[in-house]
Amino acid sequence: MSGPQRTVLVIDDEAHITHVVSLKLRNAGYEVVTAADGEEGFEAALQHAPSLVITDLQMPYLDGLELSKKLKKTRETADTPVLMLTARGFGLTDGDIEDTNIVGMLSKPFSPREMLNTIQEILGDATDSGPSDAKAA
Amino acid sequence: MKVGTAVIMWGAAGSAAGAVLAPTIASMIGGDIVSPVVIASVTASVALAAAIPLGWLLNRDVDRLRRSASRALDAGSAPAQRPSALLRSVSEPMHAAIEQSASETDSVMDRVRELEIHCRITDGERDRLEEVLESLQDAVVVTNKFGELKLANPAAAEILGLKQTDDASRSIDKIIESSIVRRLIHEAHDAGMASLRKRVEIELAEPGAEEGAPTRTYEATLACLPDIKAPIGGVVLILRDISREREISQMKSEFVSKASHELRTPLSSINAYVEMLLDGEATDEKSKAEFYQIIKNEADRLGRLIDNMLNISRIEAGIVQAQYEDIDFVKAATDAIEVIEPQAKLKDISIRVKSGPLLYAAEADRDMLQQVYLNLLSNAVKYTPEGGRVTVTVENDETTGSVMITVADTGLGIPPDALPMVFEKFYRIENYKRVAKGTGLGLSLVKHIVESVHNGQIVVTSELGMGSQFIVSIPYTRDRALGVAA
Repeated sequence: MSGPQRTVLVIDDEAHITHVVSLKLRNAGYEVVTAADGEEGFEAALQHAPSLVITDLQMPYLDGLELSKKLKKTRETADTPVLMLTARGFGLTDGDIEDTNIVGMLSKPFSPREMLNTIQEILGDATDSGPSDAKAA
Repeated sequence: MKVGTAVIMWGAAGSAAGAVLAPTIASMIGGDIVSPVVIASVTASVALAAAIPLGWLLNRDVDRLRRSASRALDAGSAPAQRPSALLRSVSEPMHAAIEQSASETDSVMDRVRELEIHCRITDGERDRLEEVLESLQDAVVVTNKFGELKLANPAAAEILGLKQTDDASRSIDKIIESSIVRRLIHEAHDAGMASLRKRVEIELAEPGAEEGAPTRTYEATLACLPDIKAPIGGVVLILRDISREREISQMKSEFVSKASHELRTPLSSINAYVEMLLDGEATDEKSKAEFYQIIKNEADRLGRLIDNMLNISRIEAGIVQAQYEDIDFVKAATDAIEVIEPQAKLKDISIRVKSGPLLYAAEADRDMLQQVYLNLLSNAVKYTPEGGRVTVTVENDETTGSVMITVADTGLGIPPDALPMVFEKFYRIENYKRVAKGTGLGLSLVKHIVESVHNGQIVVTSELGMGSQFIVSIPYTRDRALGVAA
């Protein structure tokens, strides 16, 4: 599995979630940066210029949606795609995601395997670990 | 039923009123008038009407008598008739006439008495219905076919703040302040269907409140009254305050939403780590052990969450089985501290119990009291920085006849705006979520156990950066608590 050395920023206030997502992505060849809330996440985005941001929706200080809007407004991160991870039973509306770069949503409980596939699709990374391959592994 | 009540009292054409309240009177008066004064005058008229045939009968008999006497006088020129025969010929028809008149008078008097009884029954029925209407918490408003107010009970006056008017017509447009209510009545009237019954939810602010003032939710039921002479006789409007029901339903859906969020978080971790193990992402034994431990911890967290939720709902539903016994509160505190001690040691936090030489005992459920201590101590340790202190003070409060426990810490304290919410289900202070894990149910459970199960009280005081004090008081005996409460 030779994933390109892209950086993914993972933001969640649940340490177990950032841990498991990081591990899955690192094993797939990505470089991973983590943050525990929206504000810390925004700082990390400016500092590391990630190829993709995966963020939880409900977080202290700055929630996932506010963060996405802030990223879109900021010149350095205006084009960074965002994958939203939410524990809620409902997704965001088109109105909610207006003025953001949210390109996908995954609801908790989520599958790290599916999450990796989604990220690879978003980033257009060639992969030999589609869902069927992953199952075979 | 309530609509029916109003219809009975105030059907615009009055026929309905007569039909239900006093069938006899109604049938006699042809239905237009229901006022007791009018009913009394109708009764008198009926008596008068009955007296007219009586006079006619007497006149008829006197005529007959007169004719018999003149026949007797005419016969005077003929062969002489005996005086007794003459007298009999006059007196017999007279007696018969008097007897018939007396019997007819009795019959009329019977009818009058009957009518008087009906009047009294009608008055009583009307008074009772008025009392029912007055006692209703729902607002009842009745209008006639001209859009004039015919009846409004005290609840209607309170909810709608009916305006005083000198206008004899009492038009609802001048009396009812709320434009929504006026529109509903007009619409119901204009619909023109006697069978119409409509239910809508409306928001009404208190009468005279400024724009933007808080409102209450009412269910408005509108019904049209039938009328023989017009398509619609009038409109009945009933307003029922359903704000509380709406609030409860809102709270329930919020609970479900928050509960599912809280349950999904640990479930999410379990799911992800199990999949990682299945996919062989944990390459060495150390990583595998770490994953298993995380799964175990998160499963425990899920279990605690479910236990707390079940305990709270059992207490709320009143189906909790408490086993009350005399408990030594100092001993119970020491037992709970033993459980929390390892957690405190990790942060170098000292926990101590302060009490006097007396016995500090009250009737309580041992397991539930343990829950109270564990939750308060665990929170104190969680939100106290390293090297801090937690103190449990146990005292007797003779004025209220209860044992008082104070759990005080030297921790972060609670922001003033968060203080009123700390006992709410799933409430967590936003900025402290990173400080410690929690379900947001612990303090809610504590409050339920103290107040609902033990008739006690819990209060919290706190100063930001200085620490918090949770003060619990539990009455010595449950009987005494009930006595105090009464």
